[in-house]
Amino acid sequence: MTDLLDGRPSGRLLVAGVAALVFVALGVAALVAPESQVGRLFGIVVSASTLAATLRLSVPIVFAAIGGIFAEKSGVINIGLEGLLIISAFTAVFGADLTGSLWLGYLVAVVASTALAGLFAVVCIEFRADQIIAGLAVWLIALGLAPFGSQVIYGGPNTKSVDTLGTVTVPVLSDVPFFGALFDASPAVYLMFLAVAVGWYTLNRTTFGRWVRAAGENPKALDTAGVDVSRVRYAAVLLSGTFSGMGGASLAFSIGQFTGNGPTMVNGKGFIAIVAYLFGNYNPVGALLSTALFAGLDAVQLRLQTTDLYALPDSLVQTIPFVAVIVVLAFVGKTRLPEAAGEHYESGEE
Amino acid sequence: MSDADREWVDTVRQRLIALGQTSAGERVLIAASALALSVFVGTIIVFVAGLVATCRDPVLTMGGTTLCYDPFFVFDRLFLGALGDPLAGGWSPLNPQFALTLRETTVLVFTGLSVALAFRAGIFNIGTQGQLVVGGLLSALTVLWAAPLLSGGLGAVLLVPLGVTAGAVGGGAYGAIPGALKAYAEANEVITTIMLNFVAVLVTRYLVTGPFGDPNSQANQTPPLPEVGQFPSVVFDPRTDFSLFALLLAFVFVGGLYYLLAYTAFGYDLRTAGIQPTAAEYGGVDAARTIVASLTLSGAIGGVGGAVYVMMILGKFQTGVPSYGFDGITVSILAGNNPLGVVFAAALFGVLKSGSTVVAFATNVPPQLVGVLRGLIILFVAMPEFFRLVGRRLAAGQEETGAAAVGGGADD
Repeated sequence: MTDLLDGRPSGRLLVAGVAALVFVALGVAALVAPESQVGRLFGIVVSASTLAATLRLSVPIVFAAIGGIFAEKSGVINIGLEGLLIISAFTAVFGADLTGSLWLGYLVAVVASTALAGLFAVVCIEFRADQIIAGLAVWLIALGLAPFGSQVIYGGPNTKSVDTLGTVTVPVLSDVPFFGALFDASPAVYLMFLAVAVGWYTLNRTTFGRWVRAAGENPKALDTAGVDVSRVRYAAVLLSGTFSGMGGASLAFSIGQFTGNGPTMVNGKGFIAIVAYLFGNYNPVGALLSTALFAGLDAVQLRLQTTDLYALPDSLVQTIPFVAVIVVLAFVGKTRLPEAAGEHYESGEE
Repeated sequence: MSDADREWVDTVRQRLIALGQTSAGERVLIAASALALSVFVGTIIVFVAGLVATCRDPVLTMGGTTLCYDPFFVFDRLFLGALGDPLAGGWSPLNPQFALTLRETTVLVFTGLSVALAFRAGIFNIGTQGQLVVGGLLSALTVLWAAPLLSGGLGAVLLVPLGVTAGAVGGGAYGAIPGALKAYAEANEVITTIMLNFVAVLVTRYLVTGPFGDPNSQANQTPPLPEVGQFPSVVFDPRTDFSLFALLLAFVFVGGLYYLLAYTAFGYDLRTAGIQPTAAEYGGVDAARTIVASLTLSGAIGGVGGAVYVMMILGKFQTGVPSYGFDGITVSILAGNNPLGVVFAAALFGVLKSGSTVVAFATNVPPQLVGVLRGLIILFVAMPEFFRLVGRRLAAGQEETGAAAVGGGADD
């Protein structure tokens, strides 16, 4: 938790504090008047189905955020996470349809996303493109390519339906009130927790993780130590593609389809992931917690749409997660980027 | 201002001049090469898509595999089709397809200028789309509100300027939000503008399904604007929804922005802030104010684009606004963020957008192809180093296949 608050404590503390206060206030109000609107709202917030929805909605964001952490820690800002999610969501369904196996589809998605990340890496590292512009290009290419592919293969922006990942239920534990939702979830949810653990361990406890951080903070020192900065950055950016690929595939297989109208089914999740890891101070665990905040708000708004608790129109309720992202970003403010992020590194030996 | 300050400012000015002079030719060359490479990669994509797709009458059958699309025919339709087939006999510039090209170009000039202005100030305005949506809705609502108040000739003269102004105000206000967030809370504008695009779509959807919706229609739209509240068509057939007045307005904006950037103190502050923010601040430029002003102005131009879209093309506001704002990013980057360059880049992109409808009609290739090209063009323009490398190899007369191999690696 201290890691989470390292960067600029005031903003992060403020947001976390306000969120906690609102939660406590809701709870107190619910105790005093359980049948009031506020009481029923609290009931929605702490229901097991809201937790289940929060976990489901978190999956693609957390995967993309972990990927983004690796890339940015190594000094390459990957703003194209959204594009990686889009391309993998589509190729997952295509692959599953082609091979008849969800897990092979998953693999196809990871390969496609990693390949697109590889293209991004070549453009940024080899040809010194502006990372932000190249990242936007990755997003826009995927935003065009996925619906294009769907139209060519399935005759419309939405693909045909394939199976969903289903749920894995742990006996006994899944019957625990509220937290039972943690043990009655899609395999993608368990994979997400695993990815957070692996991501954190790799970054903080392995030699490769140390190289990644050095490539972003002090590439010259890493170079002097005899490690090829470019290769480390390539590996980190490819990893961002691999993680995002798992996120996109999980997203598509949660409903068993890719929908490609407008902003596609990814709908900004890649950009929310960026804010999630900034708010989480480049820590996978922090990213998981801040994603839970955004996804939790999203889950609550989805529930609100189906209840008559407030007469708010759906369109306005749907803005809640996007507005929350803006508010969080405004309070967190300038985050401390890795020292050499966004810069090209030229080895002295060439 | 102390001597040291002046020196700083002078250095910046020299850098600006150097940047403007030495790289202009090179930039045009890079833009052209990027475009050619995008079309080349696009051809490969169409070819591969043609192999994957299933169709009743393939253009080519080899063994078990069929080719559904002819890539060359696709690009023939894309470019020549957009102009209304100038190579065929009896061509008239008034043909409806060419009018469609000009119509798209007109809106794209505005969105391209909007993105370009922000870029020059060192700001990534990805939110032109949202600013266009907000400006478009506000302009439609203003015209609908004012139409009954302004009768006869007065309406014909005033309604369109009023709508354009409303668009500028709406887009400008919506652009000021990320501007203030960046200037005073240091919130990254790439993220905030993208989030605000989503918010704009949702809020306008609410407004046109609820309070301002057309009671006589199932669609999410405002009531139709009166004829006097729309850009009048001259020369071109009214059915083409293209007005030379709107194109003229676009050119006025191009000239105005060029003048603003090149010859005014504000334009100078803006460019300096974009190139060397710390030096600019040192030289007395109020960075926060410049950021807010740039994004407000950028949003206002996008909003005018929305007003033109509403008052020239649709004749009402409707949800599901095409992605002119994202196309504007490509237009601006292709134009090197230069207002005059925006005209050419917008015309080119107008051809692509109009041509994609011809392609979809003639060949079954999905019009989303343009979306792919939009991204590819940005990617290739963003890597000038690649073209310099190729250029150096060609210049050195090294007929190595190395350059081609590098190209192939970057394409997949």
